Amino acid sequence: MTTHVAAGEQSAKRRETLAEMFVVDADVHVHEDPAQLAEYAAPPWDVALREIAKTPERYLDLPGMSPRAEYRVPFPGGSNRRQIVTSAAEMRGGLDELHVDQAVLFPDHLLSLAMVRDPAFATALASAYNRWLHERWCSEERSLKGALVVAPQNPDAGARDIRAYAGDRRFACVYLPASGLKTLYGHELYDPVYQAAAQAGLPVVIHSVETVYPAFPFQLEQFRTSLAVHALAHPLSMVANLVSMLETGVPVRHPELRIGFMEAGTAWIPFIANRLDKEYIERRREVPLLQERPSVTMRRFYYGTQPIEEPERRRDLISLFELFDGENCAMFASDWPHHDFDHPQHFLGLPFSPEARRKIMGLNAAAFFGLDVPS
Amino acid sequence: MPREYAIGRAAELSDGEHRVVRVAGRELGVFNVRGAFHALPNLCPHQRGPLCEGGVSGTIDYGPHTDYKLAWIWEGEVVTCPWHSLEFHIPTGRCIAFDDIRLRTYEVRVTDGELRVVI
Repeated sequence: MTTHVAAGEQSAKRRETLAEMFVVDADVHVHEDPAQLAEYAAPPWDVALREIAKTPERYLDLPGMSPRAEYRVPFPGGSNRRQIVTSAAEMRGGLDELHVDQAVLFPDHLLSLAMVRDPAFATALASAYNRWLHERWCSEERSLKGALVVAPQNPDAGARDIRAYAGDRRFACVYLPASGLKTLYGHELYDPVYQAAAQAGLPVVIHSVETVYPAFPFQLEQFRTSLAVHALAHPLSMVANLVSMLETGVPVRHPELRIGFMEAGTAWIPFIANRLDKEYIERRREVPLLQERPSVTMRRFYYGTQPIEEPERRRDLISLFELFDGENCAMFASDWPHHDFDHPQHFLGLPFSPEARRKIMGLNAAAFFGLDVPS
Repeated sequence: MPREYAIGRAAELSDGEHRVVRVAGRELGVFNVRGAFHALPNLCPHQRGPLCEGGVSGTIDYGPHTDYKLAWIWEGEVVTCPWHSLEFHIPTGRCIAFDDIRLRTYEVRVTDGELRVVI
């Protein structure tokens, strides 16, 4: 017997395929070539970038520009896959294979921007990157949107960059680098960034990276392995910044601002929500700006899924998402082309309801980033 | 009944080399490990990555097989998935991280200089 299904409808038994589904990838990474950035950098920083371009680079590790402390003991082997993407056309090709309709572009080396010690260079680097990304990568035709980077070393300059691009739909969000960040994102010194982002209608997204650095919570030098540092750096960074932002009432002081957290998986979300709720019972008077349980405020935030947890019992992941209402605030992210990227096909196979799957795979991100959803 | 399928000349796959072949409706990785030929599915059980397109090396391990000392072992016998770096022991198909995961291994025969995989 043949069952006819009208276009756009799904039979109760057949799972929607990736090709049929609206898939937004909330986090993919472009590779910045310092020689190219030099073309967009204000003097004298163009000279420095051309000098940096002479140095052989390694994965997310480029002396002078991407100061990542790498203490891993090297052995042969490991993945031989190319883990960088160097053009918009190459990115679109890779995303087509993943069945991703729209994607938001984050950097490679500028994941470490907060650790650049000269604030003037960090500021110039951010502005050059934004111009380069805007001109060479962001593309309506390819459905690639940019994340406009702010150098936390100079929030006023970041706010100026945001205002300069306000209303330009090529940017989907403001990216706040969290790795090695000295002053957490709850501090009032970032208010100009939040005001500019809210006025421009752009959400802010906090994104970290694996590093060992003497700023909380990255003092991870006691650990010996990437297993330890990578497991801790991302979620601890998200926890620290989220708590900082709640403590100072960022979502209350900037009620129009949409806030997202990227690349730490999801298990940390119910942990810190429950921990904060418990503290709130006793210590509400310390945070009078919060008008409700922290976990309720946290439900206004959005969270990238990658690297999605892989519990032995797959239904445990569904239970985990129920603990933070992930159906309505989780956004599929692949982290393509990095070492721990999540394939959408894997995500598609998880036992979510069809409605939850559609929201997590695309509709939540469309709401967060303000993307058009095809009818 | 198992059948033999020709998959190329043995002389074209030198010691230490491996390649992915399509045969009998499937993709296999064929490996020459010090003159012995092995074949594994080109499909990682983790997230279905193209396992046998990965690199071949040894690995570092510890246990009864290393006399409880840290050791670099199985040189040339370990394939690493290019997607997420899950490692497999080529001659046995054993997943090194998860002992309960074993890939099917295919016998590879050499007849008159021709490689034939048994499926």
